[in-house]
Amino acid sequence: MLNIKPIISALWRSKSGPVLLLLQIILSVAIVANASFIIHERLQKMNRESGIAEAEVFTVNIYNFGENVDYDLQRRKDIEAIKNLPDVKNASLVSMIPMSGSGWSSSFTREAFDRNKENQEEVSAGIFFNDHNFIDTLGLKLIEGRNFRIEEIDYSPNAKDVKAIVSRAFATAMWGEGPAVGKTFFNGPDESAEVVGVLEYLQGDSVGRSTFQHGVIFSYDFVRAGKNAIYAVRANPKDIPQLKKDIKDALLADNPYRVFQGFETIAEIRVDAYRNDALMVTALSMIIVLLLVIASLGLSGMVMFNIQKRTKQIGTRRALGAKKRDIIQQFLVENYLICSLGALLGGILAMQLGSQLMRHYDLPMLDLSYVFVTVAGLFVVTTIAVLLPARKAAAISPAIATRSV
Amino acid sequence: MFLHYLDLAWRSIRKTPALSLLMVTAIAIGIGITTTTLNIYQMMALNPTGERSEQLHAVQLWSHGPDTWDEFHMQITYQDAMNLRNLAPQFKQLAQMRSGMVIQVDSDKFEPELRAVRVTDSDFFSMFSVPFLYGTSWGEQVDKDAAYHVVISEKYNQKMFGGGDNVGKTVYLNRKPYQVVGIVDNWNPQPKFFDPMNGAFRDAEEVFVPFSLLPIEKFQVWGNISGWKHEDTKNFSDTVKSEKVWIQYWVELNSQESRQQYKQILTGYIDEQKALGRFTDNKTSADSSRLNTVAQWLSIAEVIKEDNRILVGLSFLFLSVCLVNILGLILTKFLKRTSEVGVRRAIGASRMHIFSQYMVEVGIIGLLGGLVGLALASGMLYLLGEKFGMDSSLISMSNSMWFIAPFIAIMTTLVAGIFPAWKVCHTKPSVYLKSQ
Repeated sequence: MLNIKPIISALWRSKSGPVLLLLQIILSVAIVANASFIIHERLQKMNRESGIAEAEVFTVNIYNFGENVDYDLQRRKDIEAIKNLPDVKNASLVSMIPMSGSGWSSSFTREAFDRNKENQEEVSAGIFFNDHNFIDTLGLKLIEGRNFRIEEIDYSPNAKDVKAIVSRAFATAMWGEGPAVGKTFFNGPDESAEVVGVLEYLQGDSVGRSTFQHGVIFSYDFVRAGKNAIYAVRANPKDIPQLKKDIKDALLADNPYRVFQGFETIAEIRVDAYRNDALMVTALSMIIVLLLVIASLGLSGMVMFNIQKRTKQIGTRRALGAKKRDIIQQFLVENYLICSLGALLGGILAMQLGSQLMRHYDLPMLDLSYVFVTVAGLFVVTTIAVLLPARKAAAISPAIATRSV
Repeated sequence: MFLHYLDLAWRSIRKTPALSLLMVTAIAIGIGITTTTLNIYQMMALNPTGERSEQLHAVQLWSHGPDTWDEFHMQITYQDAMNLRNLAPQFKQLAQMRSGMVIQVDSDKFEPELRAVRVTDSDFFSMFSVPFLYGTSWGEQVDKDAAYHVVISEKYNQKMFGGGDNVGKTVYLNRKPYQVVGIVDNWNPQPKFFDPMNGAFRDAEEVFVPFSLLPIEKFQVWGNISGWKHEDTKNFSDTVKSEKVWIQYWVELNSQESRQQYKQILTGYIDEQKALGRFTDNKTSADSSRLNTVAQWLSIAEVIKEDNRILVGLSFLFLSVCLVNILGLILTKFLKRTSEVGVRRAIGASRMHIFSQYMVEVGIIGLLGGLVGLALASGMLYLLGEKFGMDSSLISMSNSMWFIAPFIAIMTTLVAGIFPAWKVCHTKPSVYLKSQ
């Protein structure tokens, strides 16, 4: 029906064109499948929820360089001053900002760490030392248990009876899917904390870390003893530009010996954190688009050449009764034959490339579905690239067969 | 003869403008992408120390206990750094860390600014070939007996004092007075080989203070402090005494002998420390230290990002698609002209003549594609800087690219042209003369 046999023998007679096309398809499938796989992986990474009201929360980084400052007192005064500004919804001292690229992390165990015991599984997490205001300021969602009570917040350097609020991802890694409130976990041989609440999301500082979604907030605070302070402030997005100025003025009026760095919203911090991933996505998308453009231009060019070469043949076929759509069909079937073989070989090459990438780089194994999607896309693109010149071929008049050239 | 071929080639290119344009576009896009990724890769792979690379060595120590880290850490403990400094004074060496302070001058014109500060030893400047504009480093004596000396960059000198020789003047760091002893000219090696773990493409610090001030001033650490065991480090003196690693250590070793000698000193030192109950892992003293040249250090720090390697690989694959594509187009173009070749062959042109003529033609297409590709690449690099804030040292076009890009372009088209040109010059003249 599709006249595959004569088409194959026609292809066989002039091999170089089809072979080149085949090569192009093989390479394209291998590149596009792997590139789109990496793109998908990056997009998934970039879309991880922070759980924070990202557009409403911004950070104020302060460096105190005055002498004999009571940092603890200074910070309480600062937070009060910020909270008293008219458009501020809430403000909190924070020990680190999720996604910001710098902060604390540590690893924890289910039982007190014992040097002599083997195989004590450790779970890493980004750690926060914050008070009861933190969750509300950032807009984090508690899905189990409760927030810290004011009396639970411990400001002394050797805190006892520490409470913790953890992210669901951390709780699951530590204790599985079940409820986590009331459980205790350990850091080293003698530090422990009891879980009082579980957050839907809380991310650590470094987006590249495998345990990025593990977050733990402790109800004590040793961070206050340093020169640096980070405050998180929540306000309506429209008020933020004015607030940046107001906050600076208010805090400098109280103590001029400080320097401000980065008033950034969490949304801006997110853009910074994933900049390299966004770059990779853009670069790979560009490669895919350009590849398709080049491959289809090349294909069209080659089909056009084929038509020119076979003008007489086509004319003869038309004269012998072939319909226009038979001619178009011939070119399409020819293309699909090459594409199918190319898809098969390209798929094998793609998987090979994928396993090489997996071996040498930090990438999971290429999923076969990407090869299928790529091949499907290729069939669509090549159909268009063939159809346009083939319609011209179909328009060749049967009379041409009777002319000498 | 070559000029004649050039003339023929140019006529031929102009005869089929659409096809020629298609070929130039294909090669230009391929070269544009390849040049962009290759340029960034090359900039990342640069070793800014040149021949000094073999003389400068970063020291690594395996001071962590068993079942902790699987690799050497890039930093060492404060106590090891202090011991090494005293152990072998005949070698040029330095301990350093990154910090930050608020910088001010007496004049009101200069608003206080929070700036990164490099806390290091006097040999830093000579070991890393930092050029001085005025003054010099603080003296070696200061490495032992701390003094409030500071070296600043010319940029800061301009900003704070309006330029000129300001050695001897005072700047305030966190409101403490420091005496300016030297002003260094523009110095910003990229990648930042002497501290790649704090951002390999960050600018070099512009304020330098003596390492000996560290225990007195308790400078803040603007880098990583890593620990392998649970230690109470609530304040600075805890950190100084702890097993936490946060100091970077470099030594200059100019010959194989000095390298061996230093290695022996390190082994002896680790022996001592093992006797004192440190360096508890199951590793021999000789295996517990490592000296890395700058090239090795940059590789350990993974200065070249994985993503970049993947992109370079994919862009070369992309280029190969372009190559196959052009091959098809050239074939198309040449086979169209077999009758013309037939005539030329019949009136006496040799196969070699035909072959050379066609190779010149594809070479010209390659050159054109390469030039357009270079323009594309500089556009893309510019966009990378504008839209993605990529470090400026990475997106400046490296000089070698002006040769490499056209070279790759011409080679690609020549490779693509061999088969079509060979095919066309093996045409039997009779066949085509007959059909006319």
